[in-house]
Amino acid sequence: MHDLLTGIFFWSALGICLMGMLVRFIMYFKGLSWRLDRVAYTSYPGAGFKGAVRSIYKWLIPFGTYGWRTQPFIAVVFFGFHIGAVLIPLFLLGHNLFLKEKLGISFFTLNAAFADILTWTVVASAFFLVLRRLVLPEVRIMTTLYDYFILAISIAPFVTGLFARYQVGEYSFWLNMHIFCGELLLIAIPFTKLSHVFLFFASRAQLGMDFGIKRGGMKGTKMAW
Amino acid sequence: MFKKILFATSATEASDHAARVAFNIAKTYQSNLNIFHVLGVPTRGYSQVVVDVKTKERVDVDEDYTAWVTEEIKIYYEKYLDEPLDYTIDVAIGLPAREILRQAKTLQPDLILIGGSTGDEDDIVYKKSSVGSTLQKVAKAAKCPVLIVNRPAASFWGGLSNIVFGTDFSKTSDKAFDFAIKVAKALDCELSVFHALDITSLHTGKMLSQDEIEQQIRECLRKIRSRYESRLKELKGYSMDVWEGIPFIEIVKYARDKQADLLIMAHHSRRAPSGDIKLGGNVEQVIVRAGCPVISINK
Amino acid sequence: MPEGTLCNKMPVDTAEGITTLLSDTSGDTYYQEMKELEVDSDLLWKTIQNTCKSRMKTWLEICAHCGMCAESCFLYLVNGRDPKQVPAYKIQSTLGEIIKRKGKVDNQFMRDTMEVAWAKCTCCNRCGMYCPHGIDTGIMFGYLRGLLYQQGFVPWELKIGAGMHRVYRAQMDVTDADFVDTFEWMVEEYEDDYPGLTVPVDKEGAGIMYTVNAREVKHYPEDLAEAAILFHIAGENWTVPSKGWEETSLAMFAGDWAACKMQVESVYDAMERLKPKRMIGTECGHAHRATVIEGPYWAGRKNGQPPVESIHYVEWLAEALNTGKLKIDPSKRIKEPVTLQDSCNYIRNQGLKQATRDIMKHIVAPGYFIEMSPNKEHNYCCGGGGGFNGIGKFRKQRNIALIAKRDQILATGAKLVLAPCHNCWDAIRDLEEEYEIGIRWSFLKPIVIKMLDIPDHLRPEE
Repeated sequence: MHDLLTGIFFWSALGICLMGMLVRFIMYFKGLSWRLDRVAYTSYPGAGFKGAVRSIYKWLIPFGTYGWRTQPFIAVVFFGFHIGAVLIPLFLLGHNLFLKEKLGISFFTLNAAFADILTWTVVASAFFLVLRRLVLPEVRIMTTLYDYFILAISIAPFVTGLFARYQVGEYSFWLNMHIFCGELLLIAIPFTKLSHVFLFFASRAQLGMDFGIKRGGMKGTKMAW
Repeated sequence: MFKKILFATSATEASDHAARVAFNIAKTYQSNLNIFHVLGVPTRGYSQVVVDVKTKERVDVDEDYTAWVTEEIKIYYEKYLDEPLDYTIDVAIGLPAREILRQAKTLQPDLILIGGSTGDEDDIVYKKSSVGSTLQKVAKAAKCPVLIVNRPAASFWGGLSNIVFGTDFSKTSDKAFDFAIKVAKALDCELSVFHALDITSLHTGKMLSQDEIEQQIRECLRKIRSRYESRLKELKGYSMDVWEGIPFIEIVKYARDKQADLLIMAHHSRRAPSGDIKLGGNVEQVIVRAGCPVISINK
Repeated sequence: MPEGTLCNKMPVDTAEGITTLLSDTSGDTYYQEMKELEVDSDLLWKTIQNTCKSRMKTWLEICAHCGMCAESCFLYLVNGRDPKQVPAYKIQSTLGEIIKRKGKVDNQFMRDTMEVAWAKCTCCNRCGMYCPHGIDTGIMFGYLRGLLYQQGFVPWELKIGAGMHRVYRAQMDVTDADFVDTFEWMVEEYEDDYPGLTVPVDKEGAGIMYTVNAREVKHYPEDLAEAAILFHIAGENWTVPSKGWEETSLAMFAGDWAACKMQVESVYDAMERLKPKRMIGTECGHAHRATVIEGPYWAGRKNGQPPVESIHYVEWLAEALNTGKLKIDPSKRIKEPVTLQDSCNYIRNQGLKQATRDIMKHIVAPGYFIEMSPNKEHNYCCGGGGGFNGIGKFRKQRNIALIAKRDQILATGAKLVLAPCHNCWDAIRDLEEEYEIGIRWSFLKPIVIKMLDIPDHLRPEE
């Protein structure tokens, strides 16, 4: 079982994820239309690029935008979730050892204690994200089962990982579950709302170009995100 | 003399005094009378909703509504319209002053007749003498003489025999004089030419001595004689006077003294140098205070 | 009766058609007929497939339903934080649903959607600034309005408005002759006060071609005179076109894209005919958005620019004051607390916040200008944008929408509000009428004229 999960399953999941992201990313930009979107993308690549970079960069900084600052609670929960969700999969020691063995590459490795803190933060933040969906009427009204499903498959690798980490019950079972959930997540990325992990950049870049070219950028006004 | 008269009315009590004069003149001189009513201010942008001046209600204006308003106006002025009279009724939508001027532009009347309000200070549409009122705007911009009946006292009118013309020796005053002469001749009236010497310190910056005042009065009288007397001689009767004081008060006093049936003055469209329109405008003050109809002439 | 005589899928493009529609008081029959109007699902779905591409599809797909846009929407705030007013919910439950059902929606659904599209969104685009994913719901509502218009589900006044553009190339029944005539009339009325004042019509190669809002011609012609006076005193070489003088576009509010194209092309034709150096539009927000920001795309101009450089009135005014073409007498500046309304259409949507603030610096004595909060590109809509002001059916909702602006103004303590935008000006006037908070409101032109320091050679002779 373990061999299967770390073998063909792993390769397929990774391949589907990367290829899927690449294809959808290209499709996104190919599908942009100056006429339908009413943005002269190609006429002003400089202004568009500046706007795009600014639009992405500002939103990546915690409390970097007006939006984040006006809603500090969601900002904390959001960054608590996403910082861990990005760093842990890539920079955990165990993951790097696995990558070294499989691909022959490895990244910078996180300090173990720090990794623990990050992981717990992700789980705690996820709890608050769920709570928010249940408690706040303005979020509840839009929340569908699908939203919980996305949250569940995102959080599953972390929870199973923690079980394995603290060796609750049988280690190998939780490890296999962890790998399975991780691969499920990889496959889900290009095909579900999780596509936002890369389409976030695309969509932000698009709006950035819109503001950079049409809505003030070329008048010398930087958008006060 | 007054072949075509544009009578702008709110068709409410506020215009009753003006109405009395309007119908009276129209009958006496067989004029064509255009009774013109501006429905209201076009609020709500490009929507069709208008606040009716009369009812203060929000209404959807369409052909039915205008027809209904026209009928209402006919009923309101029933007692005048019973007798033979050459009249038309028009109803428009917009800001009253602007629409009255627009109507005047199309109709080219010899006279615009307009009323003041009778004290309902909340009546924002046909307001008295505050800044930007309908009266003020029409008097300022109209190309033909504008006859204003503001006080009820001004409307008990039995015909014209005495006309007072107030001058300040400006170019516009000369034009107003031409008109005054024309009216006096056509209607066989006496014409009194009057100038008020402004001795308020506001104007001169210092108190004048009595000698100086009398000196100036003599000068003004000389001016009146040289400017106007040759033409005044064509009339059956005339007089010329200069009084000192606050100009608009003196004019009103003089008109009362002369038992004038009509006051004619030039309207100075230029803004007062102080920029304070509330204080400025002798004509506007006279209009508010006069006991007879006032004709303001602009161009 | 699937297609009504008044309410149907056909745009109005004859003067008679407009008169017929207008004679239907309050659109009563029109809305009755709308209840029977059939939805052409095939057309709807085909249109969506052809026009809902990458950007919008992605927006709808990746919306995380996080609700961060809720607080950004003034309509959500003034409607008791009703969750049904959350921008993401509003678009997902309308456009999102139509797409999900591949266009197979019924009449009731379309009528409900019409209310959401015109009474629950003013297309102010504020939410777009608060979405982490960069989803601009205002743009999607603009798109949705287009779909609704195509199916005939459009508020009565806007069907008329779009029709006006089709027939008169103006938002009201003002003909080209009316325009020139009125402008000349107004200038004549003021020429004694400003010797040499003229209105140069159809002058080729002028420095400025001026375009207006038809409402000025119809109801507020003083505005035309004021524009002429300011150009005259600034010594500008300016002109107005006898054709293509209307800058506004109710067709944009209606979602009638074909009429939008016809309208802007009439202005662009004038530009090409008269070859001015610049085009300047009046103090109107949506007019600038329609003719300068969105217009080039409707007209198929790939570079997104009108044929000649086109700027908003506030940009010209700021420039004239900054360069000393117009001089203000410092003793006549505003000396009372005054606040400024930032119009969504050219502040948030074209970043002109500095121009209006430069103007304020010139015309307000130091210490008297009080900013609203929030302000600039974060300012709330006046409450009447996107066509909301003009729709009788949604008057109640519009009056509630005014509360946000009312409270913002009250918080400044100012009694004078400068609103260089027709829609904002209307909304603020209406809010005073509705809530009586004792404020005055004004465009910039009349205020500036009163405080000008006019050079001697331009003054009238005494």
